[in-house]
Amino acid sequence: MTARLDIEDHLLDEALAWQQSLESDDADWDGYVQWLEADPRHREAFDSVALVNAVVEEHAPAVGDLLAAQPTVDIPRTSRPRRWVAGGAIAAALALVVAIPVLRQADPVTTYRSDPGKSRDFALANGTNVTLSPSSAMVVTGKDAAKIELASGEAYFDVRHDPARTLTVTVKGYQVTDIGTRFIVNAGGGGFHVGVSEGTVSVVAPQSGQAVQIGAGQQMFGDDGGATVAPITPDDVGSWRSGRLSYSDAPLPLVAADIARYSGKAVIVDPSLEKSHFSGILVIGDGTRLLTDLATVMAIRISPEKGGYRLSAARAH
Amino acid sequence: MSPDNESGLEALYGIYRAELLRFLVARTGDASEAEDLLQELWLRARQQNTGPIGNGRAYLYRMAQNLVVDRLREKQRRMVRERRWTDQETDFAAAGVEPADRRRTTEEQMLAREEVATLVSAVTNLPAGARKAFELHKLQGLSHAEVAAELGISKSGVEKHMAVAMKYLRRALLD
Repeated sequence: MTARLDIEDHLLDEALAWQQSLESDDADWDGYVQWLEADPRHREAFDSVALVNAVVEEHAPAVGDLLAAQPTVDIPRTSRPRRWVAGGAIAAALALVVAIPVLRQADPVTTYRSDPGKSRDFALANGTNVTLSPSSAMVVTGKDAAKIELASGEAYFDVRHDPARTLTVTVKGYQVTDIGTRFIVNAGGGGFHVGVSEGTVSVVAPQSGQAVQIGAGQQMFGDDGGATVAPITPDDVGSWRSGRLSYSDAPLPLVAADIARYSGKAVIVDPSLEKSHFSGILVIGDGTRLLTDLATVMAIRISPEKGGYRLSAARAH
Repeated sequence: MSPDNESGLEALYGIYRAELLRFLVARTGDASEAEDLLQELWLRARQQNTGPIGNGRAYLYRMAQNLVVDRLREKQRRMVRERRWTDQETDFAAAGVEPADRRRTTEEQMLAREEVATLVSAVTNLPAGARKAFELHKLQGLSHAEVAAELGISKSGVEKHMAVAMKYLRRALLD
């Protein structure tokens, strides 16, 4: 499907124009056939446009209903910068807490922090590439990045395969170890999340102390009650790097924490929804629509709350 | 009215068969798939109990076009399903096996839900003009001319908005 995205813009414009003109009764089918025959890329462009059109037509009633039912809570953009400062302060405090014990070991400690609204790429000394999701913080200890702790937010790891060494990332007491994979870890919503798109990682949960293997296409959610393993589409792992938040049966508090990071507003999940799960894709955009999109898709309620918003079950009609 | 509607469309098919095949070859880029689609078109033309058709030739072209798009859509769905299916063939998934058909229905519902979620999210992220034009044209079924009148802009303005909207949705859906 990715190949289709490479189609040149002017070809899409032509395809869209044909798509439109073929709807009329006196459509120029001969001209259309000639256009198709002129260049095989025309067919590809038209396929792609026709497919989008078919999906839109198929779901038009559902999409129309959901858009009409959208809550009118609009997240004001003007207050964003101040909120972000608050979020940064929390992240800094968390990073500090985890940094103190390691400082005593006299190993070099580096704290990587990403700004609001911007992810951050960097390479660790051991050949691991990391992308920090916006408003996230990670603490790396040791010259060869022997210890890595995700303090807040989410990070994507691309680890070069090297059987001579392993890499361990600690997140909320969970230890994720691997030797050459691609995966994400997330520390949001009072829980722990790991998703693997390539290779295998080994996860030791604080409660059991037992190592569990999580392979490509699998994810693990952990909280105080324990951990669960579920399937995930490998392409969806770290999809925020291309502008989307993708979830497959994710606990709502984790989704809310991600949205809080992207929107810069606190999002509180009402106890009535704490055990809810969400599957779906949210387009990040500038982050301001995420919460209303989520509420719309899940048919739940948003109410303003000090410093942010509260998500709760919709009132009975 | 023609003496017999069913044979009417079938007779038209006989007249336009050659050019419909040329169209399908150009449309699919695959001669054998085109033949296959033409066969399906003929079966449908025979079965269809239509009322009087204003422009039989355009009607047949549109039927053929719809057959192509249906197949495209089915292929895309199958790709998504198969990708997920292989993803689920893992030790952990095997532990909680569900009957295959039930899983498939769940998968389809999930796919539909995800598509709706992607569309809603993408539409709300559209620039205001593109969103309005998209909603009026695609969701409320107004023609381009009606959308132009409603928004007080030119028809080419509507087309520009629609192009922005469709390209954005395409990125969101096919990425």
